[in-house]
This record gives sequence, C-alpha cells and structure tokens, in this order.
Amino acid sequence: MNAAFNPEELQGNILRGYRSNMVRHLMLEVSDRAKARQFLAASADGTSSEIPAITRSANWKEKPKLCFNIGVTFEGLRALGTASRDLDSFPLEYAEGMAKRAVKLGDFGESAPEHWPAPFDQPDRIHIIASLYSDEEQYLDQTEAQVAKAFTVLGVRNGRNLPDNKVFFGYVDSISQPRFRHVFDPAQIKVDEPKDPLGTVLLGHPTHFEGMLFSIPQPDVLGRNGAFNAFRVLQQDAKGFEDYLDKAATQLLDHPKGDLLLAPEDEKRVGKDLDRHGALREVVAAQMCGRWRNGVPYELSPDAQYPEKEVSPTNYSYTRTSRCPAGAHMRRVNPRGGPIVQRVANYSRRLVRRGMSYGPDFDPENRDGAERGLLGNFIGANYGAQFEAVVCDWLNFGLQDPEITGTNDPLLGANVPETSAFELTLKDGGRIRLNGFPRFVKTRGGAYTFLPSLPAIRYLAQISD
Amino acid sequence: MSDDGGWLNNYVNSLPERGWFKFLSKYVVVPYWVWREPKPKLPGGPRPSSQPSDNVQRMMNLLMPLKDTSPIGRAKAVMALAQNVDEIFAGLDNVGTVHSARFLLVEDYICMISVYDGDFSNYIRDFIATIGSVFDDLMHLVEGGEALYPCEDHVEEFIDWVKAHDLFQAPDYAINLLHVQDEAAGRSPDAPPHELLSLPRELILQLHSNRNISLGGGYRGYPGYSAAQVRDKLGVGW
Ligand code: HEM
Repeated sequence: MNAAFNPEELQGNILRGYRSNMVRHLMLEVSDRAKARQFLAASADGTSSEIPAITRSANWKEKPKLCFNIGVTFEGLRALGTASRDLDSFPLEYAEGMAKRAVKLGDFGESAPEHWPAPFDQPDRIHIIASLYSDEEQYLDQTEAQVAKAFTVLGVRNGRNLPDNKVFFGYVDSISQPRFRHVFDPAQIKVDEPKDPLGTVLLGHPTHFEGMLFSIPQPDVLGRNGAFNAFRVLQQDAKGFEDYLDKAATQLLDHPKGDLLLAPEDEKRVGKDLDRHGALREVVAAQMCGRWRNGVPYELSPDAQYPEKEVSPTNYSYTRTSRCPAGAHMRRVNPRGGPIVQRVANYSRRLVRRGMSYGPDFDPENRDGAERGLLGNFIGANYGAQFEAVVCDWLNFGLQDPEITGTNDPLLGANVPETSAFELTLKDGGRIRLNGFPRFVKTRGGAYTFLPSLPAIRYLAQISD
Repeated sequence: MSDDGGWLNNYVNSLPERGWFKFLSKYVVVPYWVWREPKPKLPGGPRPSSQPSDNVQRMMNLLMPLKDTSPIGRAKAVMALAQNVDEIFAGLDNVGTVHSARFLLVEDYICMISVYDGDFSNYIRDFIATIGSVFDDLMHLVEGGEALYPCEDHVEEFIDWVKAHDLFQAPDYAINLLHVQDEAAGRSPDAPPHELLSLPRELILQLHSNRNISLGGGYRGYPGYSAAQVRDKLGVGW
C-alpha cells in the first residue's frame, strides 16, 4: 500500500511488465451484455475457477501461471451500457478510435486502415481487447476458451519473446522505460534517469507539468487510476531492413569520409568476426536506432558495440554535439534532456511500452519475407500529449530539431524511397546522408483502449440498462 | 451563353441585383435550403496532412467571442491581455514552434492570429503548460470561458474550445470544399461526383454554419521551413 494509490486496484500491466514468454491478444465483441457484465464482475472479483481473474499490480512472490488484463474501446464502453453523458467525458482521440486518427499516426498508403486485415477492418465491433500472458501455451488455450463463453472472439493475435529479449531487426529491446515516483520496480534499480510522476500514466495524479492535470473521465470511479493504451500491430520487413543495411554498407565502403564514421582500427570492436562491410552494417543499424543491436547505447559508446569498459544501458542524455543522431529512433521518441525545439516538452511525452514479437523466426543469412513484427502497447494518461504527440511531430516529421525536420524515423517512419533521408554522424562533427530507404514497418491493425482500474471494472459490470 | 436571348436572358442575369429577388433569397430560399440540407459546422484550423510542407507554418485564426461587447467590456479584454503580454510572448518563445502571433480586437471578438509548426494540440498544450495561469484572466471575459478555468486543469477542454473557435480554413482549391463537406458528413469524397455548378450554393450553405472563414491557407514567403529551421539558418539559436 502507499498513499498515492492502492496497487491492488490497478491492472498489473500498466506499471510493470510481466516478462512472460508468450502473449495472446483476443479482440472481443460484447454480443450479450448480461454475460459480459457477469464475466467482468467475476474477473474483477477473482474468485471463480471458470473465469480468469484480472491480474493486479501487486508485487507477487510467485508469478501467476497466467496474467490476464483487459482494455476497453470507446465502442466497448458504449456496448456495456455506459451513459452517453459519461461517454462524452472521454477524450476525443479515444472516442474517435485509432482508425480515424490514421493521418496523424502515419497510417496511410499500405498502412491505411482500409487495408487492415480482420478483425481490424471493422474497428467499431472491437469492444474489448483481452491480453493473456503466460510461459505455457496450455494456459492461454484454457483461458481463451473461458473468455469465448462470454464474448464473441473476433480475432486473435499471438506474440512471443524472441531469444535474448530481441525484437525483429535484431535489436535487444525492453531496456528503457519510464520510472515512476511511488513505484518500486526491481528491474530499474540501476536506472538513474529522472523519475516520472504517476500522472504520466495514471489518470488523477500529478503530471510532468506542475499544476497541469488531465481530465478524469466520469464518473470518477470509472476514470480514476485508469490509463490509455495504443495497441499496434506493426509489421516489420526484416528482409527489407537487412537488405538495406547491405546496400548502405556497400555505399559507405567507398565513401571518402567512411573512416570518420568507422575507423579501421575500431572494426573489431564492433564485432570480432565482422569484416568492414559487416561492421559498417552494424554502425548504420546502431545510428538508426540509438543503440547497437546488442543494446549498448550509441551515445555512450559510438565506436564500439563491445566497449572494453561497461557502460550504463540507461543513464545518459543528449547534447548538441551528440554522436547519437538527432534522427535516431530512440532520440526521436525520447529526446531525454537533450536540446529540442519544444523546450518545455523534454521528459513530458513519455510512454510505457509493453510489446512482444509475432510471426515466424527470421534468419538473416536466409532472408524471407513472411509476415512478422511487433504487437506493441504504448501506454500513457493522454493520447494527445503523449502517443500522438510523439508519433506526429517527432517520430514522423522531426519537428524537434531543425536538422531533421521533414524527415521520418529511419526504422519505422512513414518513409518512401524517393524522399527518405537519414544523417549519420561522423567523428569530426560532419554528416553522411543516407537516402532511398523504404518504409520498414507497416501498420496492420490496432485500437485505442482504456485500461480501467479494478473499481472501474466493477462499475462497468454493474451498469444496468 | 449568348446575348441574343433577348430580354429574358438579360432579366435573369440581372436577378441577383434586384431588390425583390435579394429579399426572396435571403428570407425564403436560403433558409429553406439550410433547413433541407443542413451543413455541419466544419472544424477550425488546417486539416491533418502527411505532406511535410503542410505541417509547417500553419495558420491559427482564433476568434474569442466577448461576453460584454460594450466599450467597457472590450476595454477589459484589451487590458487582460496587455497586462500579460510579456509573459505570453515569453511563453510562445518557449513553445519553440511559433513563427508569429498577435492579438486583435475586431468587432465583438478578441482574436489571436498566429503561425505555428506541427500539430495544433501540441502547440496549444505546450503554450498552456508554459504560460500557466496567464490566460485565465481572459477566460473570464469570453463566452464559454468559465468552463475552462483554470486552463491548466482543463487542457483538453481548452484545446477543444480553441479548435472550435479557430476559423475553418477553406481549401485552396474551391472545389475541394465539396470533399471536405463530404468527409464531415461521413460520406466518401466525390461519390457520387459533384456538379461544379453546385459549388456556390454549397458555399452559401456552409457560410450559414461557419459565418467567418479563412480563405485558403494564405501566402508564405519562405514555404516549407519551420521556425527553428529559419532561426538556425539565421544563426540566432533555436
Ligand atoms: C516495430 C516497431 C518498433 C521497433 C522495432 C522498435 C524498436 C526499439 C528499440 C530496439 C528500442 C531500444 C530498446 C530500449 O531502449 O528499450 C526502442 C526504444 C523505444 N521505442 Fe521503439 N520500436 C518500435 C516502435 C515504436 C513506436 C511506435 C514508438 C512510439 C510511438 C516507440 C517508442 C519507443 C520509446 C519511447 C523507446 C525508449 C527510448 C528511450 O527512453 O530512450 N517505438 N524501440
């Protein structure tokens, strides 16, 4: 317990990740209100053997075999009978839903909602997304069967952790996360980044801006201690990415300033078994992301993927002379304390990330184009101030730094080869500009969901028509 | 067509200038149309676009209706701004994405006219986050302002209110107005295709819901550059 909130009353996936091996997201329709309400009541209660209990944000001693959480869409709130007066108190972005925010989110061209496969082709029918986490498939199957008795299952997406905490494109992920006041997270003991106020992610608590509060949707019991989630099915073109690294490295081999990007004596510090071409591929990948693929921050170790002295995976900031390019994925989505045009916005557009990969293994030596990618959850207290603010002005468009304005995130921005651009930084402060790369990540579905507190779930369960 | 239609043609062409016809259109025909084909009020500000050049130097034409439109009320509004103008300008500077901004008193409105880069709600949110309570004085004097007081605790509502009072920006090509109207009504644009001839009528009907509009996106002397890019090139720091 603590003064700010009761962890027993929060859904568990907001403040901490479960680090399970598998996830199954069920896209559900409320086809029978009474059954749905009964399910929610029992799920919040956690006493039924037939209905999975909502996993709470408690510091458990022994990890449950299955963790179970739900997110409710705006249409879902309506389907559960929420009064229209209360629906009106939810923010516009959420009420419109992800598909209607497409242009802002870069979901055009092949990523446009018109091309999303079922069940995301009928966004209004998706009422609830239930997320099941476990290390063993049998628990996922068993729970899915229980859920299917109360809801219509419109679609299923299965995700898993790739070995070594990697994601497709080969990077180690799940290193940086916001760190909250009032929350103890053993995974963050060595992190020394500024702490984020709880209102970054939970409604009803102080935010980064002194005095500024995000409205709590009404009634209070429904809104308070809830969070908003952007669930994204992001297809990653792993083959396209590796092919591009080949091409870029080949161009860099003959580039007159190539040695300023990677000194010949540093090649072996990038990878013992790599030739110059192979090492240059890694440098390009590292600058595009902001981390080497093994997770070492580029900012702290610009010349070596394997630095002789250990460097902190999390504790650093950016400056005007940073080696981590302003256009790198990580620096775009979290400029930390570095210089940005929107001077007040440092550390304000924070996102909690919970994601797992989907699709078959990828072998970089034997590249195939099968569908694979990331099932990402981007959680915060306010879409406009966080998720959308990051995606429309920083991740794409690059408004935060005049050097990159007009360009998109090289890893996952809405790029087209005709206009794409990314500047590699050199030791002498110079730049090498890369062009001609395609969009490596396409949107294949998603939804804006509200992650209600336990009291809110009980409230939803007892609404009567 | 031709002049040889004689008096009838001449007469029809002169209709818009004839008193009885003006009377009939104003009090009977247009109200009837508006009733038959109501046009939802179109939202203010530039529309979302994926073109980088559309995302810099965006225009805000914010018309804030005064509660008290007497000279005293108008003077109060002027004072509320004048007293805080330094802080407001310092706040705009901190937002970092603003090219220019000024305040006008026009008829019964206090207007804020500004040119900014990037997303509208980010601009307004960062603005409120930096200037804090400075805008609150003004909020007491404009219609609908109480519900937004203090602004810091009502950021989302404040953003929605500003958007609702920002002028609708008619598309640069008049014909696109029809598509914007389609979208607002939840139809797919141009299906079925519109007759070009219907444009003036649609404009008249739209002006019923949006009394004041901005005509197109306006002129830019250095299109495509953000405020920070200009500052950077001038070497004045961003
Ligand atoms: C398939 C798509 C994506 C891939 C492959 C990807 C990959 C990565 C990797 C490898 C990291 C570094 C690992 C870490 O620090 O934990 C990272 C960090 C991060 N990503 Fe992504 N990402 C993707 C999509 C997104 C999206 C859509 C957003 C936000 C809108 C986002 C926001 C972040 C944030 C906030 C960080 C942490 C940065 C920091 O705190 O320094 N990512 N991403």
